Amino acid sequence: MQLFPCPFCGPRDETEFHYGGDAGNARPDGADVPIDRWADYLYLRTNPKGTAREIWVHMNCGEFFVMERDTVTHKVLSSAALGGEHVA
Amino acid sequence: MRDLAEKWSVAPDWQGAVIATPGLAIRAVLDLSQLLVSGDLDAWARVSGVDRTGVGAFGTAQGDRYAARLARDRLLIVSNSPLAIASGWHTDGFAVTAISAGLQMFEAEGTALDAFIARGTTLDPSQASASAALSFAGISAVVYRRDGKLRIHVDRGLAAYLWTWMEIAAGNIAAGSAK
Repeated sequence: MQLFPCPFCGPRDETEFHYGGDAGNARPDGADVPIDRWADYLYLRTNPKGTAREIWVHMNCGEFFVMERDTVTHKVLSSAALGGEHVA
Repeated sequence: MRDLAEKWSVAPDWQGAVIATPGLAIRAVLDLSQLLVSGDLDAWARVSGVDRTGVGAFGTAQGDRYAARLARDRLLIVSNSPLAIASGWHTDGFAVTAISAGLQMFEAEGTALDAFIARGTTLDPSQASASAALSFAGISAVVYRRDGKLRIHVDRGLAAYLWTWMEIAAGNIAAGSAK
């Protein structure tokens, strides 16, 4: 079991959370977006070894947040609500 | 033809349903008014006069009318009598939804309450958490204390499952303490 820090609730069991994808992977906007940009958005992931910034949602309270964690050690480095005004 | 209804346990008559084992007693709590409030909680407190903070996980609620915090912008209001506030959107910036028929409430008490909580959730009951919404017995629930008892709200459709889970958990705790 691992504890994740929800910016609103504090530490909770990892099973209460759902992964939402890489942070900063914004959906392309507009009608003339090139196909390789769509492919990048949909399929290509950075998959870093080390620090990763990811979107997560705490299913019980509905808080969406950015969590920074180390993919090697599983240590959580920070978590902040989307918008950045609330930090756990 | 197969009767698929047999796959689910029959919901007991909540009026008289009780789980009683050495150290633990669990009953359904009926006839309380429950409201969901979402939006601007400051405006809600101003209009309704009911607390905007609400108790968090394993926090202690007091009085006949109180709030449990579900999220940054959501409350569950519980009261003995219906509040004189209309359901729907309020132009002050919040919405009210009657949920009395949607949530079933249970109350557990006894010396084995800590063991019961330990079986239901991995959350540390001594550590404060802003939201009372948590996973209990594998399902989403609202959990806090009142008058020394543990109160659990769950979706009514999951009440029969939770009852079965609580029967088994209470039985296992009693069997474990008898050894």
